[in-house]
Amino acid sequence: MSSLSDIRILDFASEMGGYTGKLFADLGADVIHIESPEGDPLRYSGPFYKDKPGRENSLKFLYQNTSKRGIVLDITKQEGKEVFLKLIKTADILIESFPPGYLDELGLSYAYLKKANPGLVHTAITPFGQEGPYCQWKASDLTIMALGGLLYLAGEDDEKPSWAYGEQAYMAGSMYGAVGTIIALYNAERTGEGQFLDVSMQAGVATGLENALQYWDLEKTIRRSSSATEAGYGVYPCKDGYIYIVQMGDNVYLWEPLPKWLREEGVKGSEIISQKEWESTRFRREAESKRVFREIFESFTMKHDKQFLFEEGQRRGISLAPIFDSKDVCENPHLNYRQFFKTLFHEVLGGEVCYPGEPYLMEKIPWQIKPAPAFGQHTREILAEIGYSKEQIETLNERGVIYV
Amino acid sequence: MFKHALTGIRVADFSWVGAGPLTTRFLAECGAEVIKIETHKRPEVLRKAPPFKDKENGIERSGYFSSRNPNKKSLSINMNHSRVREVVVPLIEESDIVINSFSAGQMEKWGLGYEDLKKVKPDIIYVDMPPWGNVGPYAKYKAFGALINSVTGFNYLSGNPDGFPIGTGTNYTDHIPVPTHLAFAIVAALRHRRKTGEGQYIEIPQMQAGIAVTSAVALMDYAANGRIQSRLGCRHPSVAPHGAYKVKGDRKWIAIAVFNNQEWVSLKECMGNPRWAEDQKFATDEGRLANRDELDTQLEKWSSEQDGEELMFNLQKMGVRSGLVYNAKEVIIDIQLQSRGFFVYLDHPEVGITLYTSSPVRMSKTPPEIRKHAPLLGQNTFDVLKNILQLDEVAITELQNEGVLE
Repeated sequence: MSSLSDIRILDFASEMGGYTGKLFADLGADVIHIESPEGDPLRYSGPFYKDKPGRENSLKFLYQNTSKRGIVLDITKQEGKEVFLKLIKTADILIESFPPGYLDELGLSYAYLKKANPGLVHTAITPFGQEGPYCQWKASDLTIMALGGLLYLAGEDDEKPSWAYGEQAYMAGSMYGAVGTIIALYNAERTGEGQFLDVSMQAGVATGLENALQYWDLEKTIRRSSSATEAGYGVYPCKDGYIYIVQMGDNVYLWEPLPKWLREEGVKGSEIISQKEWESTRFRREAESKRVFREIFESFTMKHDKQFLFEEGQRRGISLAPIFDSKDVCENPHLNYRQFFKTLFHEVLGGEVCYPGEPYLMEKIPWQIKPAPAFGQHTREILAEIGYSKEQIETLNERGVIYV
Repeated sequence: MFKHALTGIRVADFSWVGAGPLTTRFLAECGAEVIKIETHKRPEVLRKAPPFKDKENGIERSGYFSSRNPNKKSLSINMNHSRVREVVVPLIEESDIVINSFSAGQMEKWGLGYEDLKKVKPDIIYVDMPPWGNVGPYAKYKAFGALINSVTGFNYLSGNPDGFPIGTGTNYTDHIPVPTHLAFAIVAALRHRRKTGEGQYIEIPQMQAGIAVTSAVALMDYAANGRIQSRLGCRHPSVAPHGAYKVKGDRKWIAIAVFNNQEWVSLKECMGNPRWAEDQKFATDEGRLANRDELDTQLEKWSSEQDGEELMFNLQKMGVRSGLVYNAKEVIIDIQLQSRGFFVYLDHPEVGITLYTSSPVRMSKTPPEIRKHAPLLGQNTFDVLKNILQLDEVAITELQNEGVLE
């Protein structure tokens, strides 16, 4: 046995929590993505393959649901609940992102499900968690990023904050959901006991504030973007875009190569930043230091392109990298050397889709992706596996309980 | 049966700075015994990085360090001493997981690479976390999380359209994308070991794990459609209004996101149905998107006169997705996070009572727990040698006199 292929997961999650099941599926677990007859809302979310909106074309849906099987099932109907309960008995894990209380109202609470399957790990991923004053609040990725404190950090001084790409509150919920779930599974397999996991995206976001909470707790300072806090730390423009440089902390060996480089290039003002006081973080954080540094450093960076600065800076042991756009990343020689991007042929699209590859490489558990399921693609197959006859499946289909 | 899910798992943790220590922190809060291997000569970078308690520098005073290392033990040794293997190798033999975040080749230089350690501990789970991956043109390059954000495409995609590509303004991939992926992989490997008896090697190229969480869809969009997506501020590519709007006070904003007509009607009602909002051009999703400059201006004119907190509760009452843009202090006093017990205060011998966060995952049977402050440098050296390596005091003193221990 070399993968997670002995694990079965029922996955109701959509944009909030869809990535959780993908982590398991790409390592071989049998993840069954359950959609309502209206379809996973993510299917209608752009961007779309070849810019053609359509149920099978959402790139977000395709990304988050690789390697899963798909079933369309209406669990608000009695017959749908029966199918779901049969599936629960075969499952190790349930992942869902319904509003708190939704499954209880359907009579499918964790307390009820665990009677059918005591080893079940039930993971609920929601904006604020199952309880508390905001638990029924309406939310979107942006509002959770705001209430989790991360949005505030994305800006300098009085600048209006900006929203991080890729719905990072939803992703934080998904990622913590995945970590908690596999830990709970590990526990369930040794004790026979499942459990309920209550994942809060807001709390997930609040784990990503770097040191902002500690700045308030220890120094009573409110910080914003770290990119603006210190000379030699952050974004600087160059001839063809931007670079990021990180000269951090009071470790001289991290700082020293930078002034040396500028001296060797004969940059005007390099002797100023070579003075002893520049080795201290405190000094580099003074407003005047930041201004002086920026002027000197930019007079150099604006003469060079990002690739030159990257390679030459790195050669000198300086932590510096270009700010790549999507084209730079897709055509990147390093990633392509590593054969990072994977291309899959999708029958339903009649074409190839290119995906980012392995987040990790494990010696004994292969990572592999298959196309996301088309709408209702595996309904028939999965119902047959749990004992439904052809006729029963047709009847359920006619009654709108399932879609095949 | 077990108080914590990972009780009985021991980690020999050579990692430092961001992503590695956060990974082992997750394991430690679920009951794993994490032994942080440190050295006085080159202290962990974050021990020397602010914020410091009362703004006073000191290797036991950094909140940046402490936030990543609660529940752990610290063993302080001289990794370059000729006899250090007498301590390190037996410790690894007693461990389940070895993790490091050094540049490629450093562990091998000490004879502690995976191939070396497999010989002394065949079922070890061994983690390397090279920023760029073990092979490839950039393999030897240096990086911190901020640079990973830059090369994944994430920074380019995140920021104000007329501003710098700043991403989240943090070393984001260090905090969520990389450590969560890695913790997931490690527990998958523990499960594999329990089933088969086999250990394994795990490589987590931080750039790749970063892409998986941040820029993945933008890269697929480029590959499928040739589009290079760019920064939108707080705007959404397909709905409006969607943004951070000024409210009363300095640096105070409220995030509002309207995804359909019904939510727009509710928002209008909250505003008291002003005449401008009744214009037909705002009545459809398409119309609001096409006229979002005017929409945002009008909305902000209204919101900037409002008290933020009152506004948020009013909007929520009407079912409008909204949330204040909390700064760190506001996060700490937020009633929702407090009701979850998200913040924990622990007493530390040098800095006193300070704040820690706990897990965003509440588990009904084996709850994660933050119970012990980040260790003082070398705080558990004696304890580890005595109780894990079973060395007697004479042997420990000798190692100390030799300079193996610090």
